[in-house]
Amino acid sequence: MPMLERADWYDIARDTNWTPKYVSQEALFPDVMTGAQGVPMAQWQSYDEPYKTSYPEYVRVQREKDAGAYSVKAALERSNIFASADPGWHSILKAHYGSLAVGEYAAMSGEARMVRFGQAPGMRNMATFGMLDENRHAQLQLYYPHDLVSKDRQFDWAQKAYHTNEWAAIAVRHTLDDLFMARSATETAIMLTFAFETGFTNMQFLGLAADAAETGDYTFASLVSSIQTDESRHAQIGGPALEVLIANGRKAEAQKLVDVAIARTWRLFAILTGPSMDYYTPIEHRKQSFKEFMQEWIVGQFERSLIELGLDLPWYWDKMIAEFEFQHHAYHLGLWFWRKTLWWNPAAAVTPECRAWLEEKYPGWNDTFGKCWDVITDNLLAGREDLTHPETLPVLCNMSQIPICAIPGNGWNVKDYPLDYEGRTYHFNSEIDRWVFEQDPVRYRDHMSLVDRFLAGEIQPPTLAGALAYMGLSPAEMGDDAHKYAWADAFRPDPLAKSAA
Amino acid sequence: MTDTPILKPLKTWSHLATRRRKPSEYEIVSTNLHYTTDNPDAPFELSRDLPISQWFLQNRNASPVHHPDWNAFRDPDEMVYRTYNMLQDGAETYVNGLLGQFSARGHDAMLETSWATTLARLYTPLRYLFHTLQMGSAYLVQIAPSSTISNCAVYQSADSLRWLTHTAYRTRELAQSFPELGFATAERQAWEEDAAWQGFRELVEKALVAYDWAENFTAFNLVVRPAVEEAILRGLGQSGRHNGDTLLGMLCDAQLADTQRHRRWTAALVQMALTQEGNQEVLKGWIAKWEPLADAAIDAYCAALPDAPDAGSQARSAVRALRSILGL
Repeated sequence: MPMLERADWYDIARDTNWTPKYVSQEALFPDVMTGAQGVPMAQWQSYDEPYKTSYPEYVRVQREKDAGAYSVKAALERSNIFASADPGWHSILKAHYGSLAVGEYAAMSGEARMVRFGQAPGMRNMATFGMLDENRHAQLQLYYPHDLVSKDRQFDWAQKAYHTNEWAAIAVRHTLDDLFMARSATETAIMLTFAFETGFTNMQFLGLAADAAETGDYTFASLVSSIQTDESRHAQIGGPALEVLIANGRKAEAQKLVDVAIARTWRLFAILTGPSMDYYTPIEHRKQSFKEFMQEWIVGQFERSLIELGLDLPWYWDKMIAEFEFQHHAYHLGLWFWRKTLWWNPAAAVTPECRAWLEEKYPGWNDTFGKCWDVITDNLLAGREDLTHPETLPVLCNMSQIPICAIPGNGWNVKDYPLDYEGRTYHFNSEIDRWVFEQDPVRYRDHMSLVDRFLAGEIQPPTLAGALAYMGLSPAEMGDDAHKYAWADAFRPDPLAKSAA
Repeated sequence: MTDTPILKPLKTWSHLATRRRKPSEYEIVSTNLHYTTDNPDAPFELSRDLPISQWFLQNRNASPVHHPDWNAFRDPDEMVYRTYNMLQDGAETYVNGLLGQFSARGHDAMLETSWATTLARLYTPLRYLFHTLQMGSAYLVQIAPSSTISNCAVYQSADSLRWLTHTAYRTRELAQSFPELGFATAERQAWEEDAAWQGFRELVEKALVAYDWAENFTAFNLVVRPAVEEAILRGLGQSGRHNGDTLLGMLCDAQLADTQRHRRWTAALVQMALTQEGNQEVLKGWIAKWEPLADAAIDAYCAALPDAPDAGSQARSAVRALRSILGL
């Protein structure tokens, strides 16, 4: 007899739900870990994962993928790409690995939650591959930067960042914990795989892969595009879970999870991918602006998948799209300004040529963000780098944990969105962040932002040095301008003065 | 800021730098990756009193099995993702070869109907049991106190899906050769009702709700899995060889190869736990709790196996020998 095709036996492998007898269904699938939103187990039987694979196919395909990714790395090991790359590109690598490698490992735990507590056997099997995938992504994104720690100590943060109280690390932990680490299997399927992965990972993994190839960093380009091939498979765990919820009268619950997840994910990508694409990537290697990517991937593609599933667009959709114009510019300015608190060296990327590009992509940039950079540039030209560092604490958003910021200069719209809840005043970057808090205040109310901790006396001594020590940043690791301020020379009226600077 | 130390260039991650040897790829990519263990009072960067935070505080941080540095655990095989796929792709190529050769030879057509009936009762319902092993290890992935333990559990969970996959494949083949025996349709009923399965069903249902991380590990890796491996993979394989089912014996042996690896890291983790006072009593207490259920499971299953009269007693002594070597 000929050998069987996968389709011949696939359904048997995902026919594994049974009725427990020796323990209760509630004990076996406790709501805190399963979160089935009241949809009974039998209804989850209709869950049908669109991307099907099997164990033997998985280990074969993944072995081949790894052979490719690791051989590219080995082949380019002795090349000069890293040494010759622009320092802005180094900053992308440091920010990327530090904020993602251990986060991928966390996502492995999220996948494991679905393997154990998912109600649908198809979800449990697909999440088993997802769990393996995230194991892969953590390992690849630790193995690659490990080679670079001997060249630059900031690469140690690929492994270390999540274990520190550095503010961006707190922000990313707060986000990932909210999206999946502290969520049930059902919530994880929707918030991690559908919203975060289907919606946004394309941005970081395909968008940056394009910029990496342009820059000549083929190692990184092959790494992140290989990762994205896994993401696009296991991201499909969430869609059928949404279908089950909607078919069982839980659209409102599903919609809320999606809306919260997109709101949170957008902030993370705005501060991570936004500056990487529009500032750190050398101008000659930028494929598209961050806004263009967002419009293509989020507005163009993700919006369609929301509608196709029978969901509505989040109530804040237009507000979020409006933020594409400015939020990441504000974050970039903040990152550069508070650069000593980072594990990477932000590239200012505001030479006259860069500013012309920004003005073209974001009309009005010179009149708004440009005004701040004018002052910074003037100070640098006057030899007063000391004036380009902050003297006060920022106000951190109690949702995103990122400084509250928006448009400066002539378009000024910076505003706190406060909320009094049980005797404490919380501060938010926008109506969207405040809305997220209001959906589940118990979830967020006890958390102290880094600045809250500082003001409460938890950080001692209460000085900049004390805060930097609390964040785990040693002087050899603290961020500085990626190009050592050389870019400001382009503004000197007398070219002869450049050499004197 | 002036008296802060100047940092030397690193050769490896700072957390590995104090060791005086070059780290392996395994150490570079596997160690110290759970950030939720950093703050003993609050696993998540959210409110502390969330039910799911309490779940981690209770079932992980407050486990009666304790060690000051679980992150020091190392998998003796130093398995990483890419070597796992190389290993298991090879293993699957072997299994695929077996399935192909036996199919080409018309293996199933040569089986006695009485043996096929036994397969419908004692073999193909096994997918439910394998799936519970997959689920049980996936729980350990998310609740273990160190990433090096979680990684072992990841590969173990995937191995269980591997066995489930073999079983599903064979179920369809057998359904084609014996359409009247309920293959692919009657397994759930057998799993839920047949006396031969009820011992294992009770054992795994209860083990799945043992939510303390170390009890999950003890129940599954020291009691449930050894019982499944000795009673079923060995006992059923042996029974198969006495009934002309060479393929089943070889498939079971191929799966047993995975268990050797599981047992190596299990032994290493037990050894590590036993360095701390008080842990041995806790582990022994749990084994005393789970062993009678496992014995009953072994007995009920093996009693139904044809032509393997000693399977039950052999399995019981094999699982005890395994624990005894570990000091348990």
